[in-house]
Amino acid sequence: MKSYDHQELVITGIGITTAVGQGKEAVTNALLEGCHAFRIMERPGRQEASAFIGAEIDGLIYPPDISKKTLRTASYAAEVALVTLHEAWEDAQLQHVDPTRVGLIIGGSNVQQRDHTMLQDNYRGRTQFIRPTYGLSFMDSDLCGLCTEQFGIRGLAHTVGGASASGQLAILSAIQAVLSGEVDVCIAIGSLMDLSYWEFHGLRALGAMGTTKFADNPTEACRPFDREHDGFIYGECCGALVIERSSFASQRHASLYAGIAGWGMTMDANRNPNPSLEGECTVIRKALNKAGLLPKDIDYINPHGTGSLIGDEIELEAIQTCNLSHAYMNTTKSIFGHGLTGAGAVELIATILQMETGMLHPSRNLINPIVPGMNWVKEQAIAHPVHYALSLSFGFGGINTAICLQR
Amino acid sequence: MNKDTIFELIVKHTREVIPELEGHAFSRTDALKELGANSVDRAEIVQLTLEALSLDVPKIELFGAQNIDQLVDLFYEKL
Repeated sequence: MKSYDHQELVITGIGITTAVGQGKEAVTNALLEGCHAFRIMERPGRQEASAFIGAEIDGLIYPPDISKKTLRTASYAAEVALVTLHEAWEDAQLQHVDPTRVGLIIGGSNVQQRDHTMLQDNYRGRTQFIRPTYGLSFMDSDLCGLCTEQFGIRGLAHTVGGASASGQLAILSAIQAVLSGEVDVCIAIGSLMDLSYWEFHGLRALGAMGTTKFADNPTEACRPFDREHDGFIYGECCGALVIERSSFASQRHASLYAGIAGWGMTMDANRNPNPSLEGECTVIRKALNKAGLLPKDIDYINPHGTGSLIGDEIELEAIQTCNLSHAYMNTTKSIFGHGLTGAGAVELIATILQMETGMLHPSRNLINPIVPGMNWVKEQAIAHPVHYALSLSFGFGGINTAICLQR
Repeated sequence: MNKDTIFELIVKHTREVIPELEGHAFSRTDALKELGANSVDRAEIVQLTLEALSLDVPKIELFGAQNIDQLVDLFYEKL
């Protein structure tokens, strides 16, 4: 691994929970093997006159030091945030850092919708008995409260909302918190977005989510960039990354995963879900400029690619326009599904895991790419050392973010 | 409904809210606060007990108990 300038930002801990595995080792194996967990979703509160396809976490493993009392009133999104943060915390050995110098940014807004729907359905007509903890937990900031209480974090903590770019937005906010000197270490979480049947019906009505085209074969529904794509397929996931300056990491003998070379955010001045070629090109160039890199330096791109018709098309056009067609590309969402608020964080972690192993994971269901000329990693993982990677996230409301990693 | 049944309901819901008290031998003189129940925990215990009793009364009327025995009395008066 390269050595980093003492002012550079580095990632020193990761935690990841997905439907194909919990923890970096399990997830690395699942990525490289091209595993999946797509089926008709079964978690309570997910279906109402529907058969929505998605990938759900099966059997979350709880570390023993997260108490039953804490978990009893935590929403599912909060539970997953707690266990994912636990992995990152232990990984980065944060127990030795002054807690007043540690911050936490949680990416995502309205991430507990399924819990709310179930509670509201349960107490409809007898609201006098509604649980007092609902007065706390209905706010997403409850995830901050639970996590900071569990880990004794006393620096800063708040949520940031950026739709499907929320995970990357949390990372960008954590970068600013460290650069400003407000904290020495900042953890960014891309929260699991726990949707109910209400949101799924809305997303399908909007035309963003996959239709019933693959109702009889759910394993084939999630297929970003393939000619048969017809919308995103949901996947439960959460990622946590520990960010600090290289100098601080070196002072405390922390292990380094990767350096954060560049980053950027742009808005399209557009409330709607449609992407903007101009916005995507601008954010890519912004991140490259910040990193001091030329397009030819990028070895690998982890694209946003949700499987939406126009979104996939515009993103590939942006990558071509920015002279990045040479870079290897695969689609992490074809394995995890689209985690919405979690996506930006878990996909950056997937990028790091690939940089670590020197292997690029396969893309599921990428049979006939809509643009065949790109440097796709299709059905087989390939060995490829990555020195500079680019990860992209886009969100409804014209949000574009990009992060360049180096190793 | 007698006071013993109300006491058992409070114990059941205290154990639900604070699972770490599963092995604790509850007595009428136990104070929820001293057992580690914070203000939100105590509100949860009261609410779960009200729900179990199908008792719709203002929560303010159940404040002020210094121990479980006094809380049992407050519930009993509302039945």
